[in-house]
Amino acid sequence: MDTILELKHLKKYYGSIRGIEDVSLKIHKGEIYGFIGPNGSGKSTTIRTLLGLVNKTSGEVLIKGKPFNPDDIEIKQKIGYLPSEINLYDDMTVKQILDYQQTFFPKDCQQKRNELVKLFKLEENKKIEDLSLGNKKKVGIVLAFMQEPEIIILDEPTSGLDPIMQNVFHNLLLQEKEKGTTILYSSHLLNEVSSICDKVGFIKDGVMIKEDFIDNINKENYTYLTISSKDIHKIKKELKCKIISEKENEIVFLNNIDPNSLLKILSKYQLDKLIIQEISLEDLFMNYYK
Amino acid sequence: MIKRELKINLKSFLIWELILIGMFLIVYLIYPYIITDETMKSMDELMGIFPEEVLKTFNMDMSSIATAYGWLKTEGFMFVLLIVGIYSSLLGGNIVLKEENDKTIEFLATLPIKRSKILVNKMIVSMIYIFSMVLLLGIFNYIALTISGDFDQKQFLLLSITPLMIGLPFFAINLLISTFMHKTKKVVGISLGMVFISYFLNICSELSSKVEFLKYFSIYTLADTRNVISEIRINPIIIIISIVITIVFIISSYIRYQKKEFI
Repeated sequence: MDTILELKHLKKYYGSIRGIEDVSLKIHKGEIYGFIGPNGSGKSTTIRTLLGLVNKTSGEVLIKGKPFNPDDIEIKQKIGYLPSEINLYDDMTVKQILDYQQTFFPKDCQQKRNELVKLFKLEENKKIEDLSLGNKKKVGIVLAFMQEPEIIILDEPTSGLDPIMQNVFHNLLLQEKEKGTTILYSSHLLNEVSSICDKVGFIKDGVMIKEDFIDNINKENYTYLTISSKDIHKIKKELKCKIISEKENEIVFLNNIDPNSLLKILSKYQLDKLIIQEISLEDLFMNYYK
Repeated sequence: MIKRELKINLKSFLIWELILIGMFLIVYLIYPYIITDETMKSMDELMGIFPEEVLKTFNMDMSSIATAYGWLKTEGFMFVLLIVGIYSSLLGGNIVLKEENDKTIEFLATLPIKRSKILVNKMIVSMIYIFSMVLLLGIFNYIALTISGDFDQKQFLLLSITPLMIGLPFFAINLLISTFMHKTKKVVGISLGMVFISYFLNICSELSSKVEFLKYFSIYTLADTRNVISEIRINPIIIIISIVITIVFIISSYIRYQKKEFI
């Protein structure tokens, strides 16, 4: 599979302040990669560093195997970018900003542009300054997709969009994926991306803490295991699971031991309480950050 | 991009240009009525009170204000130099930085365009406006002076060019300063402060020989209007210094802008 976008140990410091510490990821052709992390974890800094808006402290950004140079016009023609906060020229109308962007590209994209404007129900004669946050986001989406780029970088793309438009947007992503477009999708909500992403990477305090295919994460079969016992300390030692909460003789574990092995271990002890609960992907995500 | 830059910077250009032309228009219209033999006599008496150094500051020791052209060579051109200086400084400080201040740089810098081209395009537009300001004022004054009476055409032509000697360095210096900033607010203060301090130092340097050295710290020294009026030539060294300052600061801005972080 062709690697389209690769980050190798990307690090960014603003003087002595950490932006990102160590971010590595690989996105293959036609993949949607969910880049997940809470606010302030370094998602936007990673994106801004990879696009060359800020200078990296160290590490590498490779596009199609070659180091990315922000002055490489040919490569930039193949990248669509939707920032988390849309700031466009307020004096322009929607039509004018779309026309203006078109002047930077040799390829005619009128047909795709018309489709997108229709899909997101945009009024082209409206001024940017008169648009609501959601409508500005829609203009940003049209700008990112209208040149039919090979790589699309989306930073919190659905913030400000209503649920109907979020659905329209996700369908658009799936269509793009079908065509072979590679997408980096940054979000702080795992459930937002879990249905459309192939792979997810979790970032915490500027460091990638986990990266895996969504299917594998689902297969990990994590459960919440609540045990109450006077032997709780011995059980804790033997299970070696992550502890979610602890009080006197009762502990809630994040468990991924298979049921048979778990029962074998627990059968050795006198238990007062045993509860096994299914865990949602979102809960699992939250546990990475505790 | 150049077309858009021309469009968004047109309004401020027109405002500054109209201030200049408006002032000259008023002077040309009222001058024949206020300058009579009687007023000139009392004016001469008044001038006699001022020390020569003060008159020198406004070129009044070598030019009479008895005609509109005489006024233009004295107070009139001081005003032009000040306005062109302010306009060029503000343009230099704002034209590139505005994109960051309005956060539109994220849109522009991720489009397929080199950073150097963004800077060059904005510099081209600035040069067009600075030259246009001087040119339009020159054409206006030429027509008005032709109608109102005799004047030395060569002297007028050279005098009309002198604002460029200060306008271009002011633009280039402020352009470089703006590449170290992220908000236009701070740069506006620096730009205006630089013009007024420079103007003040130039005036001080002409008041007394003891503080003549201050002229080396003032961009306004490059205007050289006294030499143009008396010798009817611009000192070539002044032209070279002005061009060198402009080029050095533009190249520095170019290098700095390549590395600038768009935070």
